[in-house]
Amino acid sequence: MSVRPGPQPLNLFVSYLDLLKLASPEAIIVLIALAVLTIGLTGDRSRTFPGIVAVVGIVIAIWTTMRLPQHANLFGGMLVISPLNSLFKIVCLALALATVPLAVSEKSMRNPGEYLAMLLLGTVGLLLLVGSEELLMIFIGLEVLGLSLYVMAAFDKTDARSAEAGLKYFLFGSTASAFTLFGISLVYGISGTTALNVIGLKLAMGSIPPLFAVGIVMTLIGFAFKIAAAPFHLWAPDVYQGAPIPSAAFIASGSKVAAFVVLGKIVLVGFAPAHGNAAWHSMLPGWSPILAALAALSILLGNFVALAQTNVRRLLAYSAVAHAGYTLLGLVAGGREGFSATLFYTTIYALTLIGAFAVVGIVKRETGGDDFQNFAGLASRSPFSAACMSVFMLSLAGLPPLAGFFGKFYLFSAAFRAGGNHGLLWLVVVALFGSFVSLYYYLNVLKAIFVDKNASETRHSSPGTHRFVANATIAVLAASVVLLGVLPDALAEAIAKSVP
Amino acid sequence: MITLEHYLMVSGMLFAIGFAGVMVRRNIIIILMALELMLNAANLSLVAFSRFHVNASGTPNYNAQIFVFFIITVAAAEVAVGLAIVVALFRLRQTTNVEDITALKF
Repeated sequence: MSVRPGPQPLNLFVSYLDLLKLASPEAIIVLIALAVLTIGLTGDRSRTFPGIVAVVGIVIAIWTTMRLPQHANLFGGMLVISPLNSLFKIVCLALALATVPLAVSEKSMRNPGEYLAMLLLGTVGLLLLVGSEELLMIFIGLEVLGLSLYVMAAFDKTDARSAEAGLKYFLFGSTASAFTLFGISLVYGISGTTALNVIGLKLAMGSIPPLFAVGIVMTLIGFAFKIAAAPFHLWAPDVYQGAPIPSAAFIASGSKVAAFVVLGKIVLVGFAPAHGNAAWHSMLPGWSPILAALAALSILLGNFVALAQTNVRRLLAYSAVAHAGYTLLGLVAGGREGFSATLFYTTIYALTLIGAFAVVGIVKRETGGDDFQNFAGLASRSPFSAACMSVFMLSLAGLPPLAGFFGKFYLFSAAFRAGGNHGLLWLVVVALFGSFVSLYYYLNVLKAIFVDKNASETRHSSPGTHRFVANATIAVLAASVVLLGVLPDALAEAIAKSVP
Repeated sequence: MITLEHYLMVSGMLFAIGFAGVMVRRNIIIILMALELMLNAANLSLVAFSRFHVNASGTPNYNAQIFVFFIITVAAAEVAVGLAIVVALFRLRQTTNVEDITALKF
């Protein structure tokens, strides 16, 4: 086995000032995380002040991301600034911004400073992931994100279910990242480099050795875990149900968006020559048939198991498995069109899911649970939350004119056109069938909200300001889901323009 | 003569033993040790690849050795977080056996 590494890029010497300028969003978030942690440690137990600091910090970071140069590439791809990366840094920061008010309005949350610091450190992981096109940095980003999320999932130390969710997430997550790491080591071994574009070039030159195929499969396993695609989804229901609600919302949104951005870059840039073919009559080995199989399995399993759920958070978890399947369709289709469809859908989905979790949070605070019977009579108790929840549920089900419909439409049409001679039609049919099945359980949630009689009495009502913060977040998220449904081109075109 | 293939075989075996440990063992502490084994398997293969990928100038390809330092650090952080979660769970449940941790079920 003699693989010669090519000439290494020689841009290793950058002044620290330039580095700080280009990495300013990450640097700002780290500083704010430390500031929030200090505020939390000084004994101030109020939830509002650290929250305000975190929000201000994230807004500043968004502003600096917008002012970054158009293109830059440091250390052979470790920090890449491109329109696509900057756009998704902003999306990740916006998702973190939407999660902060959830954490602030969570009444059971002790040590809010520590919690928000973990949230912000997780956000740094998201930014590193989105902003790098090099396997070492991607691994570091995955771990920074993962370690923060494990802590966030296990944060409620009075609740055995939260600790259990944290443990399960940790065990599955660490095993998956060990798989990814071993896969990366094989990919490095064959190609002699960790920069994605160089790996792609090296592979295009010759045939693909079997060891590299093993490397690809093992790398994909780690990402299939992160996006909760079946059969690597086993952690998702327990974590979504057991973790504190803001953690579950962040795990379901931010971590998924970043994972899809990176997975897309890895398969479409790094592993591009090992594409294979997922078309029904002309299957060729490669990563695309693997992703197609994961997608089909996720769609079927997620939707059918979701039918049997009686807990809304578990239902959202199984529906998340199904949505991971739909989102993979774009990557299987490949190309600019497929990748932008995937990115559009995962962004829409993340916004919707944070909103849905925010409503679940309100219901849980008021009735002490998040089963279907706790949602009964929500329409009469709180018409506003009920209306927003129906927007989120119908968008997840993919009904027009909400954002979820256009997301699915872009995805399915990209998959339909790809693969030569409509070869991916089988996958589109599976996905359409899955969305049809999913309508049942989303409407079941709405039936509980609007039709079922109010069995559980309201036990607590949140203090005024926290209730207001939660309601304002939900209103903004619901409005953006409706607006992106009416004007999907606003986001879709920004994404399509930035995809190289 | 020890070649790259020998190193890769050992590292593959280490990884398999680690994964089997994660799957079969019931004590969380042992599972954490098995996880470490999986990470170190990757370390071994990275170092072996680095040693056998000689640059044009005759020096090993150091990228992978730097990678290994990062992995060692990450592994330490991972164990710290893992043990913290185990302690939190032990305070609530008085057990470190994964079979007893079944509050969340289908």
